[in-house]
Amino acid sequence: MNKMMGLTKRNILVYFKDKSSILFSMLTPLIVLVLYILFLKGTYVSAIENSAKGLEGFINTADIEKIAAGLLLAGILGTALITIPYNTLMTIVKDKENKVDFDISATPINRVNIILSYFVASAFSAFVMTAAVTTIGLAVMRIDLGFTVAANDLAGIYMIILLGSVSASALFMIAMMFFKTSNASAAFMGLLSAAAGFLIGAYVPLSEFSDSMESVCNLFPATQITVLLKRFLLSDTLFGINEKIGGVDGGTFVDGIKEGFSMNAFFYGRTFEMGCSVAYIFAIIILSVIVISMIYPRIYKRK
Amino acid sequence: MSAISVKDLTKSYGDHEAVKGISFNVEEGELFAFLGENGAGKSTTINILCTILKKSGGAISILGKDLDSNEGFVRDNIGIVFQNSVLDQKLTVKENLMTRGSYYGYGKKQIMENLSDIMESFGLDEMWDQRYESLSGGQRRRVDIARALINKPKILFLDEPTTGLDPKSRMVLWNYIDHIRQNDSMTIFLTTHYMEETADADHVVILDKGVIKAEGTPAELKSRYASNHLLWYAKNNEENEKRIRETEYRYVADHYDICHSGNITELLYKNRDVMTDYEVLKGTMDDVFLKLTGKELAYE
Repeated sequence: MNKMMGLTKRNILVYFKDKSSILFSMLTPLIVLVLYILFLKGTYVSAIENSAKGLEGFINTADIEKIAAGLLLAGILGTALITIPYNTLMTIVKDKENKVDFDISATPINRVNIILSYFVASAFSAFVMTAAVTTIGLAVMRIDLGFTVAANDLAGIYMIILLGSVSASALFMIAMMFFKTSNASAAFMGLLSAAAGFLIGAYVPLSEFSDSMESVCNLFPATQITVLLKRFLLSDTLFGINEKIGGVDGGTFVDGIKEGFSMNAFFYGRTFEMGCSVAYIFAIIILSVIVISMIYPRIYKRK
Repeated sequence: MSAISVKDLTKSYGDHEAVKGISFNVEEGELFAFLGENGAGKSTTINILCTILKKSGGAISILGKDLDSNEGFVRDNIGIVFQNSVLDQKLTVKENLMTRGSYYGYGKKQIMENLSDIMESFGLDEMWDQRYESLSGGQRRRVDIARALINKPKILFLDEPTTGLDPKSRMVLWNYIDHIRQNDSMTIFLTTHYMEETADADHVVILDKGVIKAEGTPAELKSRYASNHLLWYAKNNEENEKRIRETEYRYVADHYDICHSGNITELLYKNRDVMTDYEVLKGTMDDVFLKLTGKELAYE
């Protein structure tokens, strides 16, 4: 166990000590932030204002900005949970390319633990980085907008981040098996970064897509994770707004926000409840682990 | 007991046979040199001995134990310096060595204890907190060797450890390796492109296209396969050529390079009246290699 922990520590250090790797893994979340500052905030605010027509006496500008900020943070976290695990796992490809795997294979660490150490390092790095972004983001939103999150929702957010870190690491472990060079994995990273924002609905709400497209996007665990994050992040804010409205609109404003900003995951007309989403993500993790345990030992086997 | 015993080792990649039934022994505490040009099968053999690759056939025992059924034992008792560094560029020397030590299940205290012998002599303490990427080529190689020694191995594999280093760094590195040999009586398995590095070897094996061409001590190999050279500084003319007609020679710049496997003193004595300016060069391992393989080693 100590041996595996040593290799895990090394894999974590390799990611955290490489500033360019951290920058590249945070590039998409940063782009989401920049786009928010440039125009997404305006789009969000105007869409929320449209939904709030007739309720101006109940919903103020601060409420609208809180919703927009919550959506921004969910977008940042959703993309980070794709790009950080991917970047951490690129160590597998780099180690093969530079024959570092030879050095590891000639030590007493067994093959299963070698594979496990990459997986744990990726999930850990993604969790730590994303949890830090969450904490900073929530603190800024609290100071700037008075944004609040109930204690149980806060726990939920960190649990979902953990689930997102583990599921993305499991899936990308499979992806890494197909790359022979770090150039190839970096090129795929470029594609992934560009697609991630759209895939999870950070740039455009998924509700703007066709039903088929939205359903396909919701097949990805990262999209489901983002949906769950939106729910936990905005639960307190939307509850407060609903309280203020006092049922005058029959709940249509909050329902409209949830639907318009894809706070429910749809799959061909059927809604994923929270339990269903979590179960689906767990199923993906288990399936990925089975695939990993079938294929990876062959890669690290003495040939 | 032999530190390494290899019998009829073969390794194939599909139809290509990289190692074709080689056998050799490495005695405990000796410096064993494994020579061959790129593609001769040296690294494949090392990787098999280090449990990285699987052999296709033959039998290997390391420190008296069968390699296939004692992989864990072998890994605990070997250290490897690879051709290219396998340490992490962005990590400090300390982080690199501490993490590598933990691969063997050691805690910080044990790692420091294992490194204590070489900490000062290798200058590790001076570069302890420096990033690996910021070190010079010679310093990096020292850290690579320290990494290979972190588990106090009984056998140290050095796979072209000095390739790419300047002559001074090479000399310094060899001083360190000698230091280790003297202090720990470690068995050293060396592959190198630099023939002069095999001069101190106890046993040399020359590999060509997966087969052993020759083996023995450097002196034995030189006496068997290398000729001495007499450089006679004289004008290139018929009269001079008459005197050395019986030998193999060529004229280079301002001298005759006379290749002579017999008694050079006799040749000199016979021509003492004209041979006033001369030089005698003893046969080298380069000559041995050239003679056996028909190729000179590529200095990369």
